[in-house]
Amino acid sequence: MASSDALPGPRRPRPLSPHLSVYRLTMTMAMSIVHRITGAALYVGVLLLAWFLIAASADAATFAVFSGFIQSFIGRLVLFGFTWALFHHLIGGIRHIVWDSGYGLDAPLRDQMAWATLIGGFALTIVVWGVGYAVR
Amino acid sequence: MAEHPSDLRTPLGRVRFLGAARTGTTDAWFVHVTSIALIPLTVGFVWLILDLLRKDYNGVRAELARPIPAILLLAFVLAGIVHMELGMRSIIVDYINGQSRAWALAANTLFAALLALACVYATLRIAFT
Repeated sequence: MASSDALPGPRRPRPLSPHLSVYRLTMTMAMSIVHRITGAALYVGVLLLAWFLIAASADAATFAVFSGFIQSFIGRLVLFGFTWALFHHLIGGIRHIVWDSGYGLDAPLRDQMAWATLIGGFALTIVVWGVGYAVR
Repeated sequence: MAEHPSDLRTPLGRVRFLGAARTGTTDAWFVHVTSIALIPLTVGFVWLILDLLRKDYNGVRAELARPIPAILLLAFVLAGIVHMELGMRSIIVDYINGQSRAWALAANTLFAALLALACVYATLRIAFT
């Protein structure tokens, strides 16, 4: 690096993270983006868990309001989305731990792992909802 | 040194103002620690929710008042909220610059703290009343 890069005084512009427009879309890149989106969705989705816990800690009438929402079509749709985001982010997180440990970074395997995240997220969601409908 | 024979500034002088490196790895470390905790905790949480689907108000409260489900839920909520606070923090520093970054970071921490407090309070209230 040239020494002129580090002139004293005001900060020079720092590199910005989103470089979405300068690289063609790859599977690992797509799953990286979806990982962040599902993470942000879960951030909001935890409000649902908080609502459930607060309602259950209050009286039966308060719980019935939550129960009514979660059993409605919109409620089920939100819960289904939450389930998928949770499983996708879970598997994606395991994939990132494996990568951060230095494994699975080679060409065929890294794409297979990215595909496994996508397929595994949907598969686990469907299995858990199947179990959910079977047990209740 | 040899790369900059005419540069009077020290290595410290050259890297100052290029950005923070001080505690930059602390956040990443806790994202990883909480993510490892959340692997088994998420499995347990989903298991618990599937069990609760069959129950009414009294059944849900009775189940959540048992030690293992209550502890599992508290661990999941706390690890999850620390994890999501750190995750949102990295999203904020990626996309938001200037003064609004500080407000966003503060709002993120306060939201996470309030959410954690609410969930822990509600869980303990179910367990102890």
